[in-house]
Amino acid sequence: MRVADILKLLLLVWLAIVIVAAFLYVRPAEGFIGESSRIVFFHVPMAWIAVLAFLVSCVTSVMYLKRREPKDDIRASVSAGLGLLFAVLATTTGSVFARIMWNAYWNWDPRQTSITILLLIYAAYLALRGAIDDPERRASLSAVYAILAFVTVPFLVFVVPRIYWSLHPDTIINTRGANEFDSRYTQVLMASLVGFTGLYVWLYTIGCRIETIRQRRRQEVL
Amino acid sequence: MTDLLGIMVVTLMIWVGLFAYVYRLDRKVSRLED
Repeated sequence: MRVADILKLLLLVWLAIVIVAAFLYVRPAEGFIGESSRIVFFHVPMAWIAVLAFLVSCVTSVMYLKRREPKDDIRASVSAGLGLLFAVLATTTGSVFARIMWNAYWNWDPRQTSITILLLIYAAYLALRGAIDDPERRASLSAVYAILAFVTVPFLVFVVPRIYWSLHPDTIINTRGANEFDSRYTQVLMASLVGFTGLYVWLYTIGCRIETIRQRRRQEVL
Repeated sequence: MTDLLGIMVVTLMIWVGLFAYVYRLDRKVSRLED
């Protein structure tokens, strides 16, 4: 058995333990309706992965503009796609939480509004890529766009929701710099963040390999 | 408690199913790379 296979098996067991712990190890947090607080173990890691993926997309785009290596363009596009996927999942889990807590799936809360703008920005990135046929032109333009798109991420994810009054609960480490969840919550949440990061790395490498094969085949046809 | 266990089992099934799908995809990509 190769090291990579062992790591994949470890990821399977790790996230399975996180799921069991999320339901059985922690008690429902105070101030939340029913069991709704448990969604934090899935919602927060998904939002974290979205930000991480957009950051990777930005960094690899800078690398593309510097080195003009097609593999950097592949990395940027795969990561942006994954970021968009995880942002959609974070929005969906957030809406389920909103339905339980505030009796509506959508309230146009600052966080919901800012994530919608973020989703549109990155959907436009993929639309831009789809609209340009010339590979070099597509790579250059989308690299510039990915860098500009990432400039909005800190504002939309961290600044805007903290400036305006929001229904959204304080984040784990809140504006007062304090962690107000009990220690079991923090343990399971950290384990979940590690597991989701592992899942992202795995999906990212597969995505890059698929895109490399696709490009190689396209070149063979030409 | 029963509802909670039910949701936990469904979440576990989704995770195992997703893992199996991605693992198969990974293997398929490895074959294509050879």
